Amino acid sequence: MTATATPPVKKGGLFGPDEIKVIKDPLWDNNPIAFQILGICSSLAVTTRLDKALVMGIGVTLVTALANLIISTIRNFIPNKIRIIVQLVVVSGVVIVFDQFLKAYMFDLSKQLSVFVGLIITNCIVMGRLEAYAMSNPPWRSFLDGIGNGLGYLWILAVVGTVREILGSGKLLGAQVIPQSLYEAGYVNNGLMVLAPGAFILLGIIVWVQRSISGYSEK
Amino acid sequence: MNTSSNGYVLGFAVTVCVTISAMLAATATSLAPEQAAAAELDRQKNVMMAAGLLKAGEVKSKEELVKLYNDRIKEVVVDTVDGKALDGKAAGDADKLNQDGAAAAKDPADKKKAETRYRVVAQAKGDDGSSTYVLPISGKGLWSTIYGYLALGGDAATVKGVTFYKHGETPGLGGECENPEWCAKWVGKSILDESKQLVGVIVKKGSIDPAIPEDKRHKVDGLSGATITCNGITKFVKNDLTAFDKYLASVRK
Repeated sequence: MTATATPPVKKGGLFGPDEIKVIKDPLWDNNPIAFQILGICSSLAVTTRLDKALVMGIGVTLVTALANLIISTIRNFIPNKIRIIVQLVVVSGVVIVFDQFLKAYMFDLSKQLSVFVGLIITNCIVMGRLEAYAMSNPPWRSFLDGIGNGLGYLWILAVVGTVREILGSGKLLGAQVIPQSLYEAGYVNNGLMVLAPGAFILLGIIVWVQRSISGYSEK
Repeated sequence: MNTSSNGYVLGFAVTVCVTISAMLAATATSLAPEQAAAAELDRQKNVMMAAGLLKAGEVKSKEELVKLYNDRIKEVVVDTVDGKALDGKAAGDADKLNQDGAAAAKDPADKKKAETRYRVVAQAKGDDGSSTYVLPISGKGLWSTIYGYLALGGDAATVKGVTFYKHGETPGLGGECENPEWCAKWVGKSILDESKQLVGVIVKKGSIDPAIPEDKRHKVDGLSGATITCNGITKFVKNDLTAFDKYLASVRK
């Protein structure tokens, strides 16, 4: 539904307990990747290197937060019939602006990310948060929810990216971390980690670890 | 307010579209100078990468790059009709010369030729004083025009390096043409055969067999899944080298 009753004004200011919970929840208990299993496609594609993963994570965080903020602000005016397409237009607009900034100030990264920036639009996390949260919550909390979910996505990407870059190419952020002497002793980079299946295996492990700690299991 | 009436829905949709378009237009226009500068720096980096002054993936600050470019690279405008370098013309003048030439031409076929008559060649000085000639190459791949640089060593016949820096090919398939590992395979190939005839560099379908002299001398491994991109590259490299033939011949002497 478009218009849901606004919850009564609570005490606690901008960062009351509710707001903190909105940010903290998606980091662990309700993590978009590990718990909701959203955004898997992009997390396979951009995690071959840590810097790519970080930029993608920051991009998704900004886009989710801004789109949440905008949609939440106009949520009571959006006609229910066309709400999905309106969300999509807003998300696309924000993503293109992000892409334009990348092209102007981080040209190399924008070349390497190429199509993946455009694919933020199709990231289920963004649309998921708009539908599930921003359409029925006030702007400030929606913004925080976007930040929280983006960060939840970011840290998992960063972990996968770190492991893949070290094992797959022996580097971290482009700098060699595995010493040359090890290669001379017969060590080889793990080719599987450069490919998507490597990321799948890592994600599987992360989901397993996360769920065994948080005690969640599918019904 | 009835937010589900047709009039409201239509009005809302139009408002959203117009607002977002205005926002995008404003961003694109205001960032255009920065983007152009970033693209130009990227182009200069690719000239240096082709010439071997810069390794792929090497991290250098913008100032260092600009300094390296200014110190080592000299851009000259070459008239491809007589193969002579024009004196006193800066690289930026080439477009103007071509436009004037195209405007003066009457026959459509001449017009097309005149549009690409003047081209910019970058001459690079190596650490040991050796010369490298970096030629701009461009042409159709599968989806898009591919832009790149082909660097020839002091003999103006041996490939010293190649880069493809702007294209719209499928990432992972034709887009692999920008992969430095693939570009490294071009190094050492000769654009001339034994009788000094222009052959260009041929991107073979599949892998080359080093036992065949012709493969070893002129061909590089194809990119799998990107036959049309590879054929396009073979074709435009040959075309552009043909255009520069007179200039290269004058350098070889």
